[in-house]
Amino acid sequence: MSVEAPTRPSPARRTARRTHTSRWSGLAALAPFGFAALMLVALFVVPAIAGREPTVFSVYNALQSFSGMALVALALGLTMIIGEFDLSVVGTYALGGMLAVELGVEQPVLGVVAAVVACAVLGAAQGWVVARWGVNSMAITLGGYLVALGLTGTIGDNRSQAYENYDVSGALNTPIAQVLSLRSLVALAVVALVVAVVMLTWVGRDLRATGGGRRASRVTGVRVDALVIGTFTVSAVLAALGGALQSYGVATATSNPGLSPLIFAVTASLLGGVALSGGRGTPLGIAAGALGLCFFAELFTTLVTPQYVVSLLTGGLLVAVTLLTTPTASRGWAALRRRTGARSRGGAEA
Amino acid sequence: MSVQTPAPATAGTRPESDPEGRGASRRRRPGPAQVATALFLLLLLAGSLTTEGFYSLSNMTAIANAAAVVGIIAVGATAIVLGGHLFSLSIGTTVAVCAMFFLHVLRFGMVPALALTLLFGAALLGVQGWLVGRFGANPIIVTIGAGALQEGAATWISGGTSVYPPPDAPDFSWLASPLLGVPFPVYVFVVVTVVGEVVLRRTVFGRQLILMGESPQAARSAALPTSRLTVTAFVCAGLTAAVAGVLLGAFNQSGTLTTTGTLTYDSIAAILVGGAAVTGGRGSVLRTAVGALVLAALADMLLLRGYSTPVQLLALGVIVVAVILLNHLTSHDKETR
Repeated sequence: MSVEAPTRPSPARRTARRTHTSRWSGLAALAPFGFAALMLVALFVVPAIAGREPTVFSVYNALQSFSGMALVALALGLTMIIGEFDLSVVGTYALGGMLAVELGVEQPVLGVVAAVVACAVLGAAQGWVVARWGVNSMAITLGGYLVALGLTGTIGDNRSQAYENYDVSGALNTPIAQVLSLRSLVALAVVALVVAVVMLTWVGRDLRATGGGRRASRVTGVRVDALVIGTFTVSAVLAALGGALQSYGVATATSNPGLSPLIFAVTASLLGGVALSGGRGTPLGIAAGALGLCFFAELFTTLVTPQYVVSLLTGGLLVAVTLLTTPTASRGWAALRRRTGARSRGGAEA
Repeated sequence: MSVQTPAPATAGTRPESDPEGRGASRRRRPGPAQVATALFLLLLLAGSLTTEGFYSLSNMTAIANAAAVVGIIAVGATAIVLGGHLFSLSIGTTVAVCAMFFLHVLRFGMVPALALTLLFGAALLGVQGWLVGRFGANPIIVTIGAGALQEGAATWISGGTSVYPPPDAPDFSWLASPLLGVPFPVYVFVVVTVVGEVVLRRTVFGRQLILMGESPQAARSAALPTSRLTVTAFVCAGLTAAVAGVLLGAFNQSGTLTTTGTLTYDSIAAILVGGAAVTGGRGSVLRTAVGALVLAALADMLLLRGYSTPVQLLALGVIVVAVILLNHLTSHDKETR
């Protein structure tokens, strides 16, 4: 039986394949930014069609929401990149806000620092358990979520607490250049810092490697345990910062924010190109997904849509995005890419 | 790099690598069942010694009643955990929605209302199970999304108000009344637990589900119908959520989304305290029922001592963390990465 040696593809075919693959990767990487841009355009076009006057104030409002929620999305997204899932981000978000409000009346910065440190300890403990003992992160962070929520309710006496330093709230919300505020600028600065650290240093590469395959990463010298503990710590810090910013901004800390921040964070991360299986995604993509989702939510606020419609749309969007990123869907996308690739290669050869 | 192979152990002697008889010490380690039982006994002991009125008959009835609804939900949801699909994070919402649905369809009579509510609950969870089983979607995210959809749809249909039974509804008060001094939900809890244990231990479905949870790859290699098993596990959870919804609707005589409360977390905690492995394949309905009793006893004790709901939530979180760590550290098949 003779075995034929595989024929080497022609240079034209190789070039076409490379071009095709890079085109798909480029499109996938640009998708979160495309979504954000599309939603920004929709924010002005759809209200105009519906007979309402679109204003720049809608963008300001969306960025105000972004200031708190983007940090929670980033917190969850980073743990998803390493192949874990931090359910406790909602708990640390609430705890961070409550601690900042309770301790930061006289000295707001001190309140934020206290909130961040307390939540960092919780995050580090969870990360340590996940990294060293290999405990399922969803299970252990569910416990962390309940602990954080219980602490928040206990500190806040089981009700929302008003933040009495209205000067700080006012300063945080004062419009800058019509669409920005100190609150959104702080959030954007934090996002930029995370993006810079993850995308311009070895951290991003190691995060994706850890998410892609933990054993292989260990073999290649990645300090996996330290990275996992660090990621959970940073996740808790970001969620606490988001909670503190939100609470200072609206001058209230809530004792139980419900699952809305989690729904937002998961949807933004998935829209931002993060894979649930880990090893894929960037903080910039997550931020773009969060921004697009804030514009999306603001669009329905502008249209004075009832809350249940927003619930239906958010839930539907989350389920749809989850289904589009399942292994079955991935196989479907890959088959589609192969088919269109074969077609374009055929065209190139012709 | 050399790889050392362990010397074969001679019969009747300890291998050199096991001079302390680790095999024996491993046998002495408590299993999840012993942990759950010991915790329950310790709680009862601490409660009886330090809390006034804890051991009274009326308080015991109150604990059993409180454990019943959470226990019924947890018994069904154990099937999801055993199958290796983590938890449903919207099961509390499904219970509330089923309560609203039951009260609404009471106009068709008691039996049709019960049947329709069971069907409704099974369908709600069945669809989620189909998405998880057929497409491999993440169960946590699917159930969170499904929760938002259920809340939105329920608010839309009910207009955001409570649902009350129609004026000509048949008498349903017996669903919440005591029978021979014991609240009716407690009987339902016992029946559901027994049925659940039989289904999971004595049927092909139960054994296949446990195998799938233990090793999804092996289940696929053995050509087990993994999608169908997943859907059935979710349907079981939907059925018990519907039963809990009927009982809650009958007790409150109204249905609203705020009924959800902490039912989701309480049921998950009951399953975990019962010693089920979060990665699937290990657990039992009976132990889940014990877990529900442990948590109800704890909540009751904290209530008698005057602690608020957040303190109870905090205690629940601490217990969940402790049990997960304890079960993980005492299990022989720890997941490794």
